[in-house]
Amino acid sequence: MSESNTPKFTGPGSPRDVPPAPGELGVDPRNLPPPIRDELEKPDPVAIDTTARELKDGNNRCPRCAATDIRQKPGTDILICAFCRHEWHGDRVEEEFGFGEGLDRLEGTTVASGARDIEVDAAVLRTFKCTGCGAEVTINMESEMTARCHWCRHVFGINEQVPNGAVPDAVLPFHIRKDDAVARIRQFVGKRSFFALKAFKEEFTPENVIPVYLPYMIVDSKASADIAGQGEIQTRKYTRGTGKNQVTYYDADVYKVDRHVDFTVDDLPLESSRERGNLDTSSNTNNIINTILPFDTKNAVKWNASYLRDCSSEKRDLNVVLLQPRLDDQLLSIARSQVENSVQRYDRGVRWEQEGLKVLGSRWVSMYLPVWLYSYQQTRKGMLHYIAVNGRTGETMGSVPIQQWKLLLAALTAGSFLESIAIWILARTS
Amino acid sequence: MSDNGGLALLLLGPGGSAGLYWVLYRYYRNTDKSHAFERETTVDAKPVTGADSKVGTNNGTRESSIRGNNVNEYRHRVARMGNESG
Repeated sequence: MSESNTPKFTGPGSPRDVPPAPGELGVDPRNLPPPIRDELEKPDPVAIDTTARELKDGNNRCPRCAATDIRQKPGTDILICAFCRHEWHGDRVEEEFGFGEGLDRLEGTTVASGARDIEVDAAVLRTFKCTGCGAEVTINMESEMTARCHWCRHVFGINEQVPNGAVPDAVLPFHIRKDDAVARIRQFVGKRSFFALKAFKEEFTPENVIPVYLPYMIVDSKASADIAGQGEIQTRKYTRGTGKNQVTYYDADVYKVDRHVDFTVDDLPLESSRERGNLDTSSNTNNIINTILPFDTKNAVKWNASYLRDCSSEKRDLNVVLLQPRLDDQLLSIARSQVENSVQRYDRGVRWEQEGLKVLGSRWVSMYLPVWLYSYQQTRKGMLHYIAVNGRTGETMGSVPIQQWKLLLAALTAGSFLESIAIWILARTS
Repeated sequence: MSDNGGLALLLLGPGGSAGLYWVLYRYYRNTDKSHAFERETTVDAKPVTGADSKVGTNNGTRESSIRGNNVNEYRHRVARMGNESG
């Protein structure tokens, strides 16, 4: 595989670091001046935990009464609630593909029909002859999957699988409404306005947020990993010298450490758009959209273009083979986190030196996932800043451009204050 | 006060400046955030197996932890033993 074909996901930015736990800031806000402290202590937009039982069990509840006693209306794709008789459309892919089942028996690479390789000559423009009035209607699948006949208002949707990457296997419909998304973005930016770029604050109109379906590959995998390195256990700690020449020394036993772990991973989402998969934080803010993962993909329904009415969509442009290195990378990271508990006796830490991965089986399903996206183009730097809201859980993350001189001035003022205290102490003790 | 202590005190100002800038920059720009797939994905792992054997000692070192400690840095790749993808 040529290097240029592999999407860049190892930028110089920090996504290579394991992200901090929610709410972890690295500094105690109580020690900071009031305007900064107030911002830091404001509440974050509330997100539904995808590990919540109501989402994890994958129950498709009746949207009207939340009952789960749901049956198929014979001969149709309509679902009917046995409790309130409410009817609606949508088959979950969980049952359709057996997604989430049989992970332990996965072998080889299984690719769902919508995740197959993209044919380079497949057209993205599709023309339909309107059955209502005979007019011709064109849909550009780069960004939309439905269109309305401008003469008779008949609606068309791409429902058959075209091998251009635009039609996925499944779609996860929006649950978060626009007014909710706007409120979350407003709350998120409200916590970050003191040092925000003046132009950003002046032009801030969260009502311009747009619903976008972004393409992902949802991967189940079975793998085994071997990790080897050295660990140290402290046997003695002592000091030598006296007064200011006192130095602490440590004695330690050195061990060769080998670990092996077999594991399965359920519903790992990978960006299948080359542009979105580039998480180089020095040149873009795609890591923001990456952060609002995961989604409750267990509730995804079979593809139906009707879900995309009045929404934008981005076409998938990466095939399974190009995403394999990213899957391997994430599986290795998962393996490393899984073995951490088994090396806790090494109180001086472990230096992993070698790691190996064997992917025993993987199953790939392409899916459109719902994201509310607000963007701001910072003209001087040419950076596009995103604020994204997970269309299912409401998890909100964003990049707010900074008024550099203001932040620098605040940092220098704080530094000068600390320095003057240091000089005062030195003057008193010398 | 020792020379080292004095020097450390004098570094308080520049260190505080850089530290506050770094914390607030990340708070606004969130460049350190990404999908925490290690803890947010459903992983079903069989019990970890392995071997530990003592190979020597590291006595009289001034370092408080092993050199190159990467036990928490799951995403920093090390040398590959070999890769077989199914």
